[in-house]
Amino acid sequence: MNERRQLLLMLAPYLIGLTGLVLVPFGVTLLMAFADYDMIRAPRWIGLDNFTALFGDEAFRAALRNSLIFAAVAVPLRLLIALGLALLLHRRAGAVGAARTAAVLPTVVPEIAYGLLWLWLFNPLYGPVNQLLRAGGDNGLTVFGRTPPQWLTDPGDAQAAIIVMSLFTIGEIFVILLATRQALPGEVYELAAIEDATGWDVFRRVTLPLMAPVLGLLLLRDTILSFTVSFVPALVVTDGGPPPYGTTYLSLFVYRNAFEYLRYGYAAAATVVMLVLTVLAVALQWHLIRRYRRQYGLAPG
Amino acid sequence: MRSLVAALAAVTLAVSACGGGTAPGGAGEGGRSVQLLVFGAPEELAAYRTLAAAYEKSAGGARVRLIEASDREDLIARLSTSIAGGAPPDVFLLNYRFYGQFAAKNAIEPVDARLGASKVVRPADLYPTVTEAFRWRGQQLCLPSNVSSLAVYYNRTLFNKYGVAEPKAGWTWNDLIATASALTRTADGAVVKGTESEAGAPRVAVYGLGVEPTIIRVAPFVWSNGGEILDNQQRPTRFTFDSPKARQALRDFIDLRIAYGVVPTDEEVEAEDDESRFANGRLAMLLSSRRVTTTFRQIKGFDWDVAPLPTYGKAAGILHSDAYCITRASRAKDAAWKFVEYAVGPEGQRILGGTGRSVPSHIAVSRSRTFLDPTKPPRNAQVFLDAIPTVRRVPTISTWPEIEDVTDGILENALYRGDPLDQVIRDIDDKTRPLFARGQNP
Repeated sequence: MNERRQLLLMLAPYLIGLTGLVLVPFGVTLLMAFADYDMIRAPRWIGLDNFTALFGDEAFRAALRNSLIFAAVAVPLRLLIALGLALLLHRRAGAVGAARTAAVLPTVVPEIAYGLLWLWLFNPLYGPVNQLLRAGGDNGLTVFGRTPPQWLTDPGDAQAAIIVMSLFTIGEIFVILLATRQALPGEVYELAAIEDATGWDVFRRVTLPLMAPVLGLLLLRDTILSFTVSFVPALVVTDGGPPPYGTTYLSLFVYRNAFEYLRYGYAAAATVVMLVLTVLAVALQWHLIRRYRRQYGLAPG
Repeated sequence: MRSLVAALAAVTLAVSACGGGTAPGGAGEGGRSVQLLVFGAPEELAAYRTLAAAYEKSAGGARVRLIEASDREDLIARLSTSIAGGAPPDVFLLNYRFYGQFAAKNAIEPVDARLGASKVVRPADLYPTVTEAFRWRGQQLCLPSNVSSLAVYYNRTLFNKYGVAEPKAGWTWNDLIATASALTRTADGAVVKGTESEAGAPRVAVYGLGVEPTIIRVAPFVWSNGGEILDNQQRPTRFTFDSPKARQALRDFIDLRIAYGVVPTDEEVEAEDDESRFANGRLAMLLSSRRVTTTFRQIKGFDWDVAPLPTYGKAAGILHSDAYCITRASRAKDAAWKFVEYAVGPEGQRILGGTGRSVPSHIAVSRSRTFLDPTKPPRNAQVFLDAIPTVRRVPTISTWPEIEDVTDGILENALYRGDPLDQVIRDIDDKTRPLFARGQNP
């Protein structure tokens, strides 16, 4: 068997999965986006009507806005926290193993269980989060004399709650960044020490540029994921509310329209918009990363 | 080919929405095996398991596989995806308010012929009010499992402790406010007005009333006041809360929180839902259907009972009913019918009625000791039967689930946030008109 055939054979399971589970369904979704379809009766071709209706739909506009806010806030924060933890925990020290385990642990908790746990943590009256915030304050207020966040009943606070939840499921990013940091050559740090470089200089001029390719990759990946990771928290913890659409994200909008209201064509159109947005966000980031690499004279990615 | 395309599309949407979807198991298992899709609280699911076990025992060799959804939305998602995938459950249990979207899509098998030939159950055995709710374009699509209505569950121990008269038939909306106000108390037992408290104000320990801000809770009071919630019951095009009678009932409902402070705040409801609050003795009255009875029968710490809804002069209730529907694509329709026939027949109705879960739709069983047993709470179960002649129903329009979701969100903000009444009425009208226009009627 020649090498080319061997490679094809090894790739075959992946290619079959990619075609059957990604490409074909994507094609079908694309077609459905132009149809009125409830999955029970035959689809009816309606051209761009679903897209026209989407942009006149208050729920969709709210979901789009919420998803963009989530991506813009949660993605950089998740990356920043994971990077901070990786830099903090890459050295051998006492209890560092336990700390690394603690950083990864929330990621391995099943999503529904994780959501239910936060539902308890965010309970406005009996939840530990607000109990903690009330510590030292009087009459149910915080120590600063303000009411604690109304995680489940105020739209802004509820969006913050979903973002806070996402900040603890960074185990995978943390592990990748930890491995990246540990793989950096020790000589460059020795050289920096000889030059009397400050910690900030070392981070800015040595660590960050060397880790940048991996950070860029993780940024792209997390942006793509951001449109779906908000689904379970919004469904389990806030149920898309507070009303009308406080934490309705695109993924929840798609789910409701497809599976609760049986508007599969409409949901498919929203899915296509979600995919286009993802591609645009990734393209923008890719462009910025390439510019960064050119600026620092690094090889093109 | 069509089902392949549908299945692939379902996978795509499920993946894009949530990273995976679930459909109820395989197709009908042939023979006399039936898949039954239901949802409910653990106590309710236990009741369905009891029914399924009794059926298997009575019909030797028959099998019922219960598919338990977590809630109504989950049930609808499982049902639609399984129909699309060509492997639907044989029977599903769904409220009349939500079966319209499946009826409109021709996904339910009519049962007229089978019902006509049945020796176990006759149409005349069932309450006509509720069988009519499941007729779609002249065909009987589903058969009702129960015929509940809204009632006032109340904590008798609290009423006796504070010397407040128990609610009784003929009491009015004003009586409800007075009673709820008298029972809204601090931990010391002092009467307190539970409106938005400033720092240092006494904290409410017991609220007088619990009620969901939903259209199905508001509607009976509008009807009782002589108003209508819709412009046309058969072919509705809009809500009519702008009419004087409907407007007054809606305003009174919204005042429960902001003006009278007799219902918990939204924060308190999020912290502890009304059913739990009632079961924990921190709510004197709760407006709910028969559904909560199985849960409340676990209460050990106090005595409770039910009373009829208060009125504005004319008694009016709202129908709460679930029915067994056979899917058109079921591969075991005969076996499915056998089970449905048993479940709505006297034997099945006695078993489910005995669990406390529902008011039997079978007239004779509902009037028997099985349902009215005074040794099992609620003592005054007759309230549910007395309400049947005055119950009305909301329309079975295919877009009703969307209409309820939108309306309930607006009502929630109105009750807890105190949105101006004019804005509430305008928002309900503006946001639901397109949904009525898109809906299909029976």
